[in-house]
Amino acid sequence: MEPLKIVIAGPVGAGKSTIIRTLSETEVVDTDAFASEDIGKKTTTVAMDYGTLHLGDQLLYLFGTPGQDRFDFMWDVLSEGALGLLLLIRGDRPEDFVPARRLLDYITSRHSIPYVLGVTRQDQPPVWEPEEVAVFFGVPAERVVGLNAKDPRSAIGPLLRLLELLIENK
Amino acid sequence: MAIFGNLNHMSLDDLLPFISSRDGALELFNLKRLPQITLFFQKGKLICVYQGNKPVDALQARSIIGELIDARKGGFEFMPKAKPKSCPEALNWPVDRLLISITTTSDEFAQLADRFPHPETVFKLAKDTAPDDTRLADFWKQTHEYLKKGTSAQSLAGRLGMPLDHTRFYLLKLQQLGAVTAVRNSQEKPSTKRTGAAARLLKSLKKHFFGEDGAWSH
Repeated sequence: MEPLKIVIAGPVGAGKSTIIRTLSETEVVDTDAFASEDIGKKTTTVAMDYGTLHLGDQLLYLFGTPGQDRFDFMWDVLSEGALGLLLLIRGDRPEDFVPARRLLDYITSRHSIPYVLGVTRQDQPPVWEPEEVAVFFGVPAERVVGLNAKDPRSAIGPLLRLLELLIENK
Repeated sequence: MAIFGNLNHMSLDDLLPFISSRDGALELFNLKRLPQITLFFQKGKLICVYQGNKPVDALQARSIIGELIDARKGGFEFMPKAKPKSCPEALNWPVDRLLISITTTSDEFAQLADRFPHPETVFKLAKDTAPDDTRLADFWKQTHEYLKKGTSAQSLAGRLGMPLDHTRFYLLKLQQLGAVTAVRNSQEKPSTKRTGAAARLLKSLKKHFFGEDGAWSH
């Protein structure tokens, strides 16, 4: 069976590497490097994160894209042929919403790719709730799911929603 | 009386209030990012802007003035009583108001620069009415046919002969007003093959994370 690919994008520090580590069965291949500028953490992904899930005969690839603008060519490379896009944002960092919307606009205007937004840190209030984030991003509320990226049963939620929407052709 | 100099010593916003009370043409040359520009003034108004030997439209004129305000390299010379050979669309912009408008735009431009959309993001019209703001209305008039079909800042910059950052600025302003929106290709109907793959994957993921009954509540 042909492997399927999900792209996980978002600003620096949104939790892309964390969610892939939480969901992947195999050792996650990451390309973290020490940050050369102040981005709020010591290391950041500079090429991509990569994890896999084996589900019977079906192989699922999870690709995390770097958050910085200068790696925008990777957004195109990874989005090509992907089953869907999960845009992750930290619910306690509203300053990231504008760059995240810019990223969503770029990818979805150039690729025919279904998307959902995942709002992390729902377990650490104060935090923007999914409904509020949907209004800010101007997307239907059903496309925004809250999650805790470290909990597998919570982290998988946005992917399940993405697949449901794809099946319902919404 | 000869009025000449260099933008390095006297910027356009220093020069305009002084020039605007005179009738004539201000020639600007040896500019870093523009060919020779000529601004024609009459009775305190900017009447026409030439780029090289040709008059430009209102949208291009705004863009050029914006560039000139920031320019710190280039010479200028004022020619009293000079008039344009032709000016199909007279601007008639009072210089004092133009200065305020351009300075405000320039400040806003710098403030919003890190929010400009990606040059290749595709936008389409969300409303079919021109915005009230004159600056945006000029841009809207020139671009709404392209925006009906969907277009990017990069493509518009090429079509209109404007700096890329200016088209990005205008698209951001129109997006903030709800006049344009990013195209969502995800709204296209997926193939049967993809929906079939999604259905199988959904079932497998539910089983993997929630057991045989696959109960996921959301």
